Amino acid sequence: MPLPTITERDIKAIIPEISSAVEIGHGGQRIVFLATYSGQPIALKFALLSDTFTPENEDLEVAILRAQRETQILRECTSPHMVKLGPIGLETTSIAGQNVLYYSEEFIDGQALNDVLRSEVTLHTQEVVRLGLQMCSAIADLWSLGKIHRDIKPGNIMRRANGTGYVLLDAGLAFDVAGESISAGFLVGTMAYFSPEQFDYTSRRAMDFRSDIFSLGVTLYEAATGQHPFFSPATSTTHLLSKILKQTPVPPSSLNPAIPATLDKVILRMMGKSPHLRYRRIEQLREALAQMQEAQ
Amino acid sequence: MAMYAQHGHGKSYRIDSALATGSIDGVIFGARNEKIENIKSCVDKVREESGIVFLDPQFHVSALTPPNDRFLPDYPYYKAGRTSADFIGVKKISSHVKTTLDFELALQLDKLLSPTVIFDSFESKWCQTALNLADASLEYHASLTGAPPLLLSFVIGEEALESRIELDDFLDQVTSWETVSGVYIILSRESSSYSQRFEPERLANALYLNYVLGSINGLEVINGYTDFCGLLFRSVGGSAFATGWSQSLRQFHKRSFTKHKPGGQQAKLRYTSIPLLNSILLTELQQIYESGRLDMVLSGVPLDKVITDADSLEDSWNALYSELHHWESLKTVEKGIGEDVLTNLSVFEERITSAQELYVMLKEDGVIFGPQTRPDHLKEWIEAIEKFREIASL
Repeated sequence: MPLPTITERDIKAIIPEISSAVEIGHGGQRIVFLATYSGQPIALKFALLSDTFTPENEDLEVAILRAQRETQILRECTSPHMVKLGPIGLETTSIAGQNVLYYSEEFIDGQALNDVLRSEVTLHTQEVVRLGLQMCSAIADLWSLGKIHRDIKPGNIMRRANGTGYVLLDAGLAFDVAGESISAGFLVGTMAYFSPEQFDYTSRRAMDFRSDIFSLGVTLYEAATGQHPFFSPATSTTHLLSKILKQTPVPPSSLNPAIPATLDKVILRMMGKSPHLRYRRIEQLREALAQMQEAQ
Repeated sequence: MAMYAQHGHGKSYRIDSALATGSIDGVIFGARNEKIENIKSCVDKVREESGIVFLDPQFHVSALTPPNDRFLPDYPYYKAGRTSADFIGVKKISSHVKTTLDFELALQLDKLLSPTVIFDSFESKWCQTALNLADASLEYHASLTGAPPLLLSFVIGEEALESRIELDDFLDQVTSWETVSGVYIILSRESSSYSQRFEPERLANALYLNYVLGSINGLEVINGYTDFCGLLFRSVGGSAFATGWSQSLRQFHKRSFTKHKPGGQQAKLRYTSIPLLNSILLTELQQIYESGRLDMVLSGVPLDKVITDADSLEDSWNALYSELHHWESLKTVEKGIGEDVLTNLSVFEERITSAQELYVMLKEDGVIFGPQTRPDHLKEWIEAIEKFREIASL
C-alpha cells in the first residue's frame, strides 16, 4: 500500500511549529520533507507504519515501541558522523485513514554520496580513507550502544557542504529515500550492499558490527573505483546474491591504479565473506585506515 | 613463538632437562597427573627456570564416563559424572568458571585456561556448553584486577572439522568476543593409534581455524596435544603448540581420559626425523643406518650425537633420549617459522616434497616402514595445504 499524499497543509496541521515543508525525496513507502521548525531547517520523514515497522503478526503498539527505542538509541549517539535526531521524536498519526509514523533528523546541508559519485565517478584515495575513518566513527558509536546500522550504502551517506566530511543517515530505521546506488540501479538498491550474513535468514547467531564493516567495504570499493564490486547493469538479483556470497572481487587497484596496495588490502578484508575474516574490532580497521592517512 | 611440554603421567626430570637445554619454552601442566599438593611447587620450579607455565584444569574430564581422572577429584573445581544438566543456567556455568579460574589464579600462572567440555560437532549442545563456559570465563576474567591473560579452551572432536559452514559459525562466534585475547585448542583425534596421518579435509579446516584466529584476528592460539602438525598450525598463524613425552600427550584421544581395561604394549623406541617429518621406529632407523643413509634422516640437533657416536643404536638410545630428542627436533623447526603465512607454507611444502623423495629413496634401498610410519601422512598434508590455500584464498 503506498503512502497517502502528504501536503504541507497536512504537516502544519499535525505539527503546528512547522512553518514550511518542501518534499525533497519520495521513495515508495517513504517521503522526506525539508521543513522549517521554529525557524530551523530539519529533515522530516514520514513512512507507512504497517509496511515499515510491522512485520507479520507483530502488534502495532509493540512495533511503535520498538521504533521509539531505536530512535532513542540514535539520540544517544555522539559521533559527529552519525546523523542526529531532530526536535520531533518518533510519533504516529493517521492521514487519509492510514497509519503513518514520522520523526525528524537534523538537516544535512550537502550531497548524498551516490550523487557525489554520479558526478565525480571516484573519490581520491585520501578522500576514500577519510570517508572510511568517519564511517568507522559512526559504526563504533552505534555498536557501543549495541546497535548495527544494517543499511550502509552511498545513498545513506551525506557529504556535508561545509567540507567537514560525511554523515551516516538512518541507522536502524532504514528510512531511505535516496535508495539506489549510483552503479547498482534502483531495484537492487540496498541489497547490493548487504553482507552475506544479512541474506542468511536461518542464521542462529546474532549479527554484529562486522556486517556494517562489509557494507562499508562495498561502499569504499565503489567510491575508490567507480564500480560496484558485485553489481553491473546485467546482473540479476539471483546473480547478485550469488556474487555477494561467493565471489571475491578483483582488487580495487586493478580498476584504479592510483589506489595503493595497503588500501586494496583493507577494502578486500572488509568484504570478507565471513565476519571472522573481517576486522574483529572497529579500532583495528580505524588504525589501518589512520596509518594510510598518516602515510599520505 | 613457542613450543611447550604437554605434561602428563610420569614427568620425572624430563621437563627440567628440556627446559635446561632450551628445547621447550614452558609447560602446560595437566591437573589429572599431578597431586594438588604438588602443583604449586611444580609451577614454581618451571618459573625458576624461566619457563612459561600454564595449568590445563582438564575440567572436560568431568563430563566423561567412566572418567580416568587420577588426581582430578582432589581439585576443587572437579566433580566426576557431570551431565548436561550441570551446565544449564547462568548460575551453574558461572560457578564452574569461578572455581576453576580462582584455583588457577592462586597458582600465579602466566596465562589462565578456561574450563571447557569436549564436543564432537559444532551443532551439538556440548559445543553450546563450551561456548557458554567461554563466554562466562571472559566475563569473570573481566571482573578480576591484575589477573594474567585468559585463553579460552576448546576441545574439538576432529569429526567436527568436516563441516565448513559449522566451523565458520563457530569462528564467527569466537571472534565476536571483543575481549578475547587467545585460545587453547585441543583436537580430539578419532583414532587413538599414534601416527602423523590426518584426513586432508579435516586438517585443512584445522589449518583454517588457526589461520583465522591467529593470523587474521590476531589472537594467541595454542594448540595442545599435538605433534608434527603443530608445526603446520604454527606456519599458518598458531602462536604455539604443546607436545608431550608419550604418544598420548602428542595427540589427544578421549580414550586416554576414560577407564578401560588395562593392557596395550609398551611404546617402542622412536627417533624423530625432521627430514622424514615423522617419528620412526628405532628398528627402522637401524635399517636406514645399514643402507648407508643415516645422515640423510638425522634431525641435525645436539642429541643426534648419541646416535652418531654409538656403536649400537639399540644400546645407546633410550626412552628419555627419544623424548628429549623429539622436543629438540620440533623446536628446531618451530624456531625457524616466521610471520608470513605464504612463505611458511612454501617452506613447509618444500620440506614435505623432500621428505617424500627421501622416503622413495629409502624404499628403493629396501628400507621397510611400519603402517604408522609410512609416508602416507605427507600426501595428506600436501592435499590439506592445497585445500587450505583454496578456502583461505591464499
